Amino acid sequence: MTEFALSARGVQMEYRERHSTERLLAIENIDLDVEEGSFVSLLGPSGCGKSTFLKIVNGLLLATAGEIKIRRTGQARENAMVFQDAALFPWYSVLENVAYGLVCAGVARREARRRAEPYIELVGLRGFGHKYPYQLSGGMQQRANLARALAVDPPILLMDEPFASLDAQTRELMQAELLRIWNAARKTVVFVTHQIDEAVYLSDRVVVMAARPGRIVADIPIDLRRPRQLDVKLTPEFAAYEQRIWSLIQQPRAAPDAATA
Amino acid sequence: MTRLFPPYSTAERLFYGVIGFVAVIGVWEAAVQSGLLAKALLSYPSRIWTVALLDFGSGAMWPHVWTSFEEFAYGFVVSLVIGIPLGLLIGWFPRLDHLLSALLAGLNATPNVALIPLIVVIAGLGLQSKVIVVFLSAFFAILVTTYTGVRSVARRHLEITRSFGGSRWLAFRTVAIPSTVPFMISGTRVGAGRALVGVVSAEILAANTGLGFYISLYGTFLDTPRVMLGILLFGVIGLLIGEVIRLLERRFDAWRPSIH
Repeated sequence: MTEFALSARGVQMEYRERHSTERLLAIENIDLDVEEGSFVSLLGPSGCGKSTFLKIVNGLLLATAGEIKIRRTGQARENAMVFQDAALFPWYSVLENVAYGLVCAGVARREARRRAEPYIELVGLRGFGHKYPYQLSGGMQQRANLARALAVDPPILLMDEPFASLDAQTRELMQAELLRIWNAARKTVVFVTHQIDEAVYLSDRVVVMAARPGRIVADIPIDLRRPRQLDVKLTPEFAAYEQRIWSLIQQPRAAPDAATA
Repeated sequence: MTRLFPPYSTAERLFYGVIGFVAVIGVWEAAVQSGLLAKALLSYPSRIWTVALLDFGSGAMWPHVWTSFEEFAYGFVVSLVIGIPLGLLIGWFPRLDHLLSALLAGLNATPNVALIPLIVVIAGLGLQSKVIVVFLSAFFAILVTTYTGVRSVARRHLEITRSFGGSRWLAFRTVAIPSTVPFMISGTRVGAGRALVGVVSAEILAANTGLGFYISLYGTFLDTPRVMLGILLFGVIGLLIGEVIRLLERRFDAWRPSIH
């Protein structure tokens, strides 16, 4: 039996709406295994519960049913999240921001900064450690965001649409950068996105989700050779994956009435 | 750094500030000398200047200035020392908020001037009663602004601390306090103005020394040059305090892009 970095069984998330007795099923019964060291994307439209699932794995939310097992391999107790935007503290320098995850884990400030230094280098921010976030471009801010998560050496790196607010060119560059960094850091990654090409380009597996209620509709292994360059997106194989996933997303909903349970 | 407005230098700020000041004084003096404005009503700059030289020269003015400054300084510092931490705590702990907010809102709604006779009965005519009035005047502005700052901390920022397993206490120190700093500074600015108002009203109502007393004393003698001198001195003090706060603000501003 393979060792899984993450094992989710029957995970369900139900919200009670404010001022009403109606219940909203954000996630219905998710089963998911993620192999050690692999890169898995959760892909789906907004409202499919992909970010909610990520927050449950992170411990920011408590699932209403089901269980999640995480194999603790890194040094950190917690998983580390790379957030979408506005995720750096404007009152801290880049170095202090990157060190912050370690500070949260109880590492002394000075030691945390010392340990954060190599990750600034790894994400390509050498020389920017003393800058403040407002002095950085969106792409550079997300590099710092990534460095902060990597610095705590988490068992799983969780990424919540980290490139969604970047412009198209920067996004492409950051995707390539992420693969380079992932190759160097060798982390298990669970990556949430709504962009098909991003998911196919980055992942070993693309888990396609649907909304209302949030659920998994397909789990597609991506057998494109690694290391991948950006021009892999121009190959027929790549286009075939995109086509297949696109048709899955377009499928009529199986049970449109299941939204209210 | 991109600028929202064309840049301007400190020298320019000073230059225009002085021009505005000189222009108003010039127009005022001219209006009185030409007979457009009655001498007795607002007095006039050259006369006020003469009186200022007289009263500062004889040393009669210094105790008044010093008394007012002392009352301001004590009352204001105490209101900062209590208002900022209390605002932070009430903003951070909902139970404390529920416990105190109605009480504080009620106290805040009471006009401070209405409390002065009571405060004089309790604390007498001396320094203590003025310090209490000044404290009450500035305290609520500082408290409420700081509280608002804590309440408006970005959810996302708190989520980061939790996401990395940081404690609530860590979030308070590393997120709530730094993101509230701009609010603390504006609370300090508003509070300083209120404190100065507190000094004047307490001294006019019940005092035997201080700039407010000086104004009300010479008001009863219809000595408008001295009344105007007192008022202008309050203006100068307010200006100086504003500059000190501006310097303070700059110290904490490294992480915010400036608009100028």
